[in-house]
Amino acid sequence: MRIFQMQRISAIALLVFLGIHMAVMHYPPWEIDFRTVVIERLSSPIWKVIDIAFLFFVLMHALTGAYVVLTDIQRVNTYKRVLAGAAIVLGIAGFIYGTATIMAFQPPV
Amino acid sequence: MYKSTGFISFVLRRFTGVALVLYLFMHILVIGSATQGAAAFDATLKVVQGPLFKIMEIALIAAVAYHAFDGVRLLIVHYFNVIDYRKSMFYAAFAVAAFFTAIGGVLILQALLYHA
Amino acid sequence: MPDSHPLPTTATVRVQRFNPDNDKKPRIQEFKVPLTADTTILDALHYIKAELDGSLTFRRSCRHAICGSCAMNVNGRNMLVCKTPLTRELDQQARVTIKPLPYLPIIKDLVVDRSSFWEQYQRVKPWLIPPDNVPEKEFRVSPEEVEALHNAETCIMCGACYSACQVIAMTKEYIGPHALLKAFLRVLDPRDAAPGERLADLDGGDGVYRCHTIFNCIDACPKNLNPTQAIETLRKLAQKRQAYEVERAERQKTLTQPVK
Repeated sequence: MRIFQMQRISAIALLVFLGIHMAVMHYPPWEIDFRTVVIERLSSPIWKVIDIAFLFFVLMHALTGAYVVLTDIQRVNTYKRVLAGAAIVLGIAGFIYGTATIMAFQPPV
Repeated sequence: MYKSTGFISFVLRRFTGVALVLYLFMHILVIGSATQGAAAFDATLKVVQGPLFKIMEIALIAAVAYHAFDGVRLLIVHYFNVIDYRKSMFYAAFAVAAFFTAIGGVLILQALLYHA
Repeated sequence: MPDSHPLPTTATVRVQRFNPDNDKKPRIQEFKVPLTADTTILDALHYIKAELDGSLTFRRSCRHAICGSCAMNVNGRNMLVCKTPLTRELDQQARVTIKPLPYLPIIKDLVVDRSSFWEQYQRVKPWLIPPDNVPEKEFRVSPEEVEALHNAETCIMCGACYSACQVIAMTKEYIGPHALLKAFLRVLDPRDAAPGERLADLDGGDGVYRCHTIFNCIDACPKNLNPTQAIETLRKLAQKRQAYEVERAERQKTLTQPVK
């Protein structure tokens, strides 16, 4: 079924993207502000593309995962169409908002 | 409860997974403050980079590391015939996750102590 | 054979009792049974029923691990009590705890309602669907093809895997390891004419993708079968269902001829 494949594909993608994310964002002294983010990475369109792809896969993985966790419960599975709809809406909303956020990191700062 | 290493990994995977979904949406909202400009972003970030949040980030690293390496273990099970080694693979995933959590935890605590 | 630990002469068997007429919830009752080196857990249950409490209810039939009636939960593990020596399961205080198979409705004492188990079994059409060109004498199946089925064909339908499965604990809509193993047997059988149809049903939301690779079915199986590997195989086949159907149709053209 498609959800299973979506989860595995996004899982493999996340191993790559999360590795990048941890390596470039999170190291001592662990302090970031708007300026450092823009100067170090997000003024470059390549980093914007990488971050948008990361956002896409992380939302896919989170929402398919939450859907599977919930529909594994027999009583909840009755509402699986509602849940699927909610996951799609939440995914689109999160993706638009997150992309807007990534695009908001613009020079000059 | 039918207890086994598989059961423990399943419960931990689901628990960390649900926790990470909640964290993800909080994370998106926090970083989303950038849409209101640099000042709003820096003000929000000041709050979530406080010592309390740093300590909680160690738990976050643990959850991410466990979920990731348990996921790697599952991918290996899916694509290779290694079911005979299921117990040792669970312990290996757990050990690798613990290792990364320890490194992350030590780095965070060091930063807290020496850069504060 | 000299034994450094002399065997205790009696064992304490703790049995979960439940009588739907009187009890609101199950309770544990202790019995003292005589112990020898070759007492099985089923022997202990027989002793209790014959000598101590005739109202104890449990299923058993063949006493040599082939009928699949006596699967129970002993010290938290599902097993066939007829083939398990009592000494193997005793703790330091010579105690053992016997409960009915978990996650299934209890009818009485150690007897559980296995309706969902059999419903899911029927759902996968566990019988062979033969091709149109049935030979007069026999099908010719290669040794490799038989070898591939070996994992699935010795299942005795005892329900140990089904009731150990954590997914079954959460939803009875899942087909379950026992039925998926049987489906694996039929899908991989070169004589079966409808592998595509079978895979289409297994591909749905209640089928192979509900398995979360917890491995409890492997741990529980008294015949050392491997339902998880069967489910992994079915997942891969379900993804190339059409190609597999074509392959099967091609194979069945030569199924009555001698194997090269």
